Amino acid sequence: MAKEVRLPQLGQTMEEGTFVSILVEEGSQVSKGDVLFEVETDKATLEMESPEDGFIKKILVKPGETLEVGAIVAIIGEENEDVEDMIQTSSDSNGADDSSSAQAKTAESETLKVITLPQLGQTMEEGTIVNILVKEGDNIAKGDVILEVETDKATLEMESTQEGVLKKLLVKSGDTIPVDAPVAIIGKEDDVVSQDYIDSLLSGKADANSGESTTASEVQSEQAPEGVKVLELPQLGQTMEEGTIVSIIAEVGKTIAKGDVVLEVETDKATLEMESTADGVVKAILVEAGETIPVDTPVAIVAPVDVEISQAYIDSIKNSASSDTTEAKPAPVAPAKPAPVAKPAPVAAAPKATAASGNKIFASPRAKTVAKELGVNIADIKATKDPLRIKEVDVRNYASTIASPAKDESAVIEMPQPEHQLGERVALTRMQKVVAQRMVESKQNIPCFYLNSVVDMTELVAFRAKLNKTAPVKVSFNDFIIRALGIAVKQFPIMAGQIVGDDIKIADSISVGLAIAVEDGLIAPMSKDVDKKSLIEVAQYNQDLIARAKSGQISPDDLSGGCITLSNLGAFGIESFIPIVVPGQCSILGTGWIKDELVPQNGNILIRKLMKMTLSVDHKIANGAYAAQFLDYVRKLLENPASL
Amino acid sequence: MSYKIDDKRGKKVPKISELIKKGQITIDDAKDWLRTIYEIRFFEEKVFELLGKNIIKGASHLYAGEEAIATGALAAMEIGDVLGSTHRGHGHCGASGNKYAESEGERQMHWNRMMAELMGKETGYCGGRGGSMHIADVQKGNLGSTGIVGGNQPTAVGAAYAEKYKGTGKAVVSFFGDGATNTGTFHESMNMASVLDVPLVAVVENNLYGMSVPFSGSPIEGTVRASNIEDVAVRAAAYNVPAMIIDGQDVVAVYLAMLEALSYAKENNKLILVEAKTYRWYGHSRSDPRAYRTKEEEKIWRERDPIIVLSEKLLSEKLATQEELDEIKADADKTINDATEFALNSPWPDPKDLAKDVYVEESYSQAQHSLDEDLSKKSLEATDAFTKALESAEGKTKKEKSENAKAKIKADYKMDVLTMGEAVVAAQSEEMAKDKDVIIMGEDVGLYGGAYGATKGLLAEFGPERVIDTPISEAAIVGSGVGAAIRGMRPITELMYIDFLTIALDQLMHNAAFNRYMFGGHAKVPMVLRSEGGVGRCIAAHHSKSLEAWLMHIPGLYVVMPSTPYDAKGLLKAAIQSDNPVVFIEHKATYGQLGAVPTQDYIIPLGKADIKREGSDVTIVTYSRMVMFALEAAKELEKQGISAEVIDLRSLKPLDIETVANSVRKTGKMITACEGFRMAGSGAEVVRQLMEYTFDDGRTGFDYLDAAPVNLAAEDVPPPMSEPLELASIPSIDSIVAAAKNIVA
Repeated sequence: MAKEVRLPQLGQTMEEGTFVSILVEEGSQVSKGDVLFEVETDKATLEMESPEDGFIKKILVKPGETLEVGAIVAIIGEENEDVEDMIQTSSDSNGADDSSSAQAKTAESETLKVITLPQLGQTMEEGTIVNILVKEGDNIAKGDVILEVETDKATLEMESTQEGVLKKLLVKSGDTIPVDAPVAIIGKEDDVVSQDYIDSLLSGKADANSGESTTASEVQSEQAPEGVKVLELPQLGQTMEEGTIVSIIAEVGKTIAKGDVVLEVETDKATLEMESTADGVVKAILVEAGETIPVDTPVAIVAPVDVEISQAYIDSIKNSASSDTTEAKPAPVAPAKPAPVAKPAPVAAAPKATAASGNKIFASPRAKTVAKELGVNIADIKATKDPLRIKEVDVRNYASTIASPAKDESAVIEMPQPEHQLGERVALTRMQKVVAQRMVESKQNIPCFYLNSVVDMTELVAFRAKLNKTAPVKVSFNDFIIRALGIAVKQFPIMAGQIVGDDIKIADSISVGLAIAVEDGLIAPMSKDVDKKSLIEVAQYNQDLIARAKSGQISPDDLSGGCITLSNLGAFGIESFIPIVVPGQCSILGTGWIKDELVPQNGNILIRKLMKMTLSVDHKIANGAYAAQFLDYVRKLLENPASL
Repeated sequence: MSYKIDDKRGKKVPKISELIKKGQITIDDAKDWLRTIYEIRFFEEKVFELLGKNIIKGASHLYAGEEAIATGALAAMEIGDVLGSTHRGHGHCGASGNKYAESEGERQMHWNRMMAELMGKETGYCGGRGGSMHIADVQKGNLGSTGIVGGNQPTAVGAAYAEKYKGTGKAVVSFFGDGATNTGTFHESMNMASVLDVPLVAVVENNLYGMSVPFSGSPIEGTVRASNIEDVAVRAAAYNVPAMIIDGQDVVAVYLAMLEALSYAKENNKLILVEAKTYRWYGHSRSDPRAYRTKEEEKIWRERDPIIVLSEKLLSEKLATQEELDEIKADADKTINDATEFALNSPWPDPKDLAKDVYVEESYSQAQHSLDEDLSKKSLEATDAFTKALESAEGKTKKEKSENAKAKIKADYKMDVLTMGEAVVAAQSEEMAKDKDVIIMGEDVGLYGGAYGATKGLLAEFGPERVIDTPISEAAIVGSGVGAAIRGMRPITELMYIDFLTIALDQLMHNAAFNRYMFGGHAKVPMVLRSEGGVGRCIAAHHSKSLEAWLMHIPGLYVVMPSTPYDAKGLLKAAIQSDNPVVFIEHKATYGQLGAVPTQDYIIPLGKADIKREGSDVTIVTYSRMVMFALEAAKELEKQGISAEVIDLRSLKPLDIETVANSVRKTGKMITACEGFRMAGSGAEVVRQLMEYTFDDGRTGFDYLDAAPVNLAAEDVPPPMSEPLELASIPSIDSIVAAAKNIVA
């Protein structure tokens, strides 16, 4: 039986996608999970996988075509199936069904777009509006932060999923609203929003208020006592259809809170934790370890402590599940396999958890045992004594180095003789005199504010490693950051400004200073025109610049015309620091070391490489919000290294 | 000249009524013989039937047709006489049980336990561990039945020696078939029984076929013959002992001949051979189509069925009516049917008891452990002190210097300085003085004092009854040890070279090591097999091996290999005191090695390793002479900054893996060093056990390894004679040092 393949929502804010490439042909056989298309969204180029096994009967898209989420893009069927009729209907429906907004009930909805509160975390059911960052009449771009929302877990930013003029705000600070409740209406400059339309939306909101979250469906059965929630297996990944219960964490009779882990589930991709979507006491566990169940199968019953659950009720829930199971494809009951992903160790015990699951690490059993005892990650350790495997001595040496902030092993074990003695008078070098004078000048004349941000460098680290395999020059992290600063300054040109009389004079070209420690002190020569150069060109230029700086061949021209400076102390194990703005420039960015951190995401704990950035900004020239957007743009650029 | 053959066939057998008249037997005895014959017959028929129904599994060699021999022999035996049986042993066990049964109930229970054993039930004589081929009630003077043809004969010699030594006035009746008379153990055993002058009646149940091969030929085309003689009895000439040939189908003839043979054996402490001509109704086993026999031959023999022979005598002598005979038959039938019911309703053995009774449980007091820990350290110190004292000792001659140094050690440590050989002698001497059941048997152990002097002086001290020079018959030496041990002695058997074990391994494995378990835990074999092994004297591949890995592979054995005089003495004393069979292997190159030995009485618990030197970087696990190599290596390593711990296993089975694992937990690195061949060697076994050893924290030895363990062992070559090759074939001090440096690097 042929099936339509629709464009899935591949990201939280994705509404449409542009088909970059088509990787299958009509008639080719595909398996579920095979990549069919590459689709470019507002965020990234992503792979769209086949949701079915079968043969591609028809491809309904062309490369370059942009379609909305939900549009039919292909038909998959059996080898000799006739799907002509289906193709007809499909192309019709693509043309007609161009709106995915469920609230668009009136004519006004043709151009008006409603922004609703998204689910910002797996267990989020509602959010409290902490702060509204926009006002009616503002021009809003997709991705702009419009609200700060406090959830059960954290205070988060809510980004606009639409672009246009904010016509109407439907919430005020302090409101607590359920997920999917309308928050704002966006439209064209000249759109008029009627009260009727607003009312219709708000009545929907009232409905939403009374409704329950989809994952913890309130049981409608007559036997179901009040407050009973049936926890169902959620779809924990795009292609997940079923999951094998690896272990059951929740225990009958124990109190469970929303967000507590109920089960470990092995999907086609990974072993994941399923969190509770309800508070209460676990009344029944409906599955067993080792069982393979389809998505949406009830797995547990949670209810207030005083609510009695009858066996008949439990059976009815179980039976409904089993009948579902038989309707669906027979679920092969696979034996529970050991979880392929490492369980995150307590953060205090393990500064870094393992990320390497693919690469076999050769270490002696004792080295592994000692690593576990010392709470260090074997993947971070290099074999020194025996090139073939990590041994105990390597682990102990490594553990002693990470105990101190410096990463450099030699720095800890063997420190050179100090250059100067106590009581000695050390003459200022000419360069240091200049530094002293300029820094005092900065502190006196430049009233700074400081912005902190954290950038996820995971992708960039991988991108750089890949790039450096083929690049004609070794591209450093600084090269990436400098290039990002160049692009961002161009986008936020005030950051290249200087006060000249009553004006802010914006620089003619964008040069980024790079603070380099040299023998005599500190120097920050300019990497020029970084907005116009490619990353590789920037890297080539910088390499030459650093060589000249180290050998004292910096010309006055190298030092002039800077807009911003980068000072990176990551190599010295510094996490974050506040740099001083170089007089004549608007700001300076201080970056720390790129460090593995445990990051919660969608109920999983991921290991990401994070870098802290501190931007010192001359408040005479730029204001907080402006500089903040600049810094956030830098962050985004670094998080999408392909854009550099 | 003792040899003569008394062929009783064709001679007139006295009437039963004459025997009754003489008061030799009663009419009830004669009727009971018939009932026993019937019971054995019905038992065998039932077993045949149940094999077909797969209710009885495994092998079953049926005795039907031969019942008169067991019945007549057991009738002639006194209570207390000892019985040795074979794979075709249902009749011996059956007749013996009837003999010992004091009531109908006991008789019924006896057959119950026999049938249960055949079915592998817990209520069987051996708890289902033995089955058909190893059925025996060893608590009633049965040495057990063996599955190896000829394998039971050496034990009978040792058992007979024990009766003689203890002066019980009893004899051993050893049954075996015509096939067994072509084995080496037959010759070794008959010869040894002959020269040791032991009360042994060797009963050859000549049923004319060794499986399918006729003993003396057959008219059927395709058959050959197993011997060129008609009568086995003529082989008695080789041992210069008397022999009889009797009609094995006539229980009266068997009874009378066995009475004569037993009284000869007992009165003269001599071996006598009784050849009973007989025939088995069934094939060798159930699957045998009997193609090697003619139907005519079978018919002739069947006409001489022991049931017919005896029944006719009773009827013709008017000692019983047909009705009475029918009643006997019916009683026997009921006994076997009830036994079958009993067995069917009996429980299976519990698999949780699988490993029960492999060993007699060995236990040592805390005081014994502590004493060893204390003394072993002091002994090492004293030995070191002796080495130093010897360097500085005064004296004109070496001997004088040595005496002076020894005197200093005696004064300072209260220890004698002995050679390994002296320590071994001392251990045996002390235990023999303490326990008169301790005897020594072996080649050249008497006047010669042992090929390596390990029994020097013991003949003079304890006499030829206790220090027994034997013929060069390794299987008979080891098997005699087993037989004597089963009969309550504590024999020390010596094999001059461990290499000679190759021809005695059946006795050591199947009889010494397995008997206890196979016979349901009712037997124990407290014997020591002393030998020596290893290279070092350029005597090539038949005299230089280290076969301990073979022995470690045998459940039921202990294997002990000392490295110092202190260990040798303490371990050998413990081995002699142990109720388990212990193989004790000295190293041929260490007999002259000097070491301090306490003057006090002490033993070293078997299964306990000794840390000969403490260290922190690498664990060297070794035993026997290699301990000395390892200690030398450790000294060299210390100079190079590597601290090696040397563990002397002392006992290889049981193996003290706990001490090894705790050491590896400390060092993370392990080298094993031994002289056995590398493949499937003792070192590999140490590694295996280390990997699996689980500490209290749940971690295993594996978790604490920081490098792959290194097994230093003999190269996989037959030990060569030429000295440089011989040296190259085993680990050296240098190779241990190199391995340690490599693994620690």
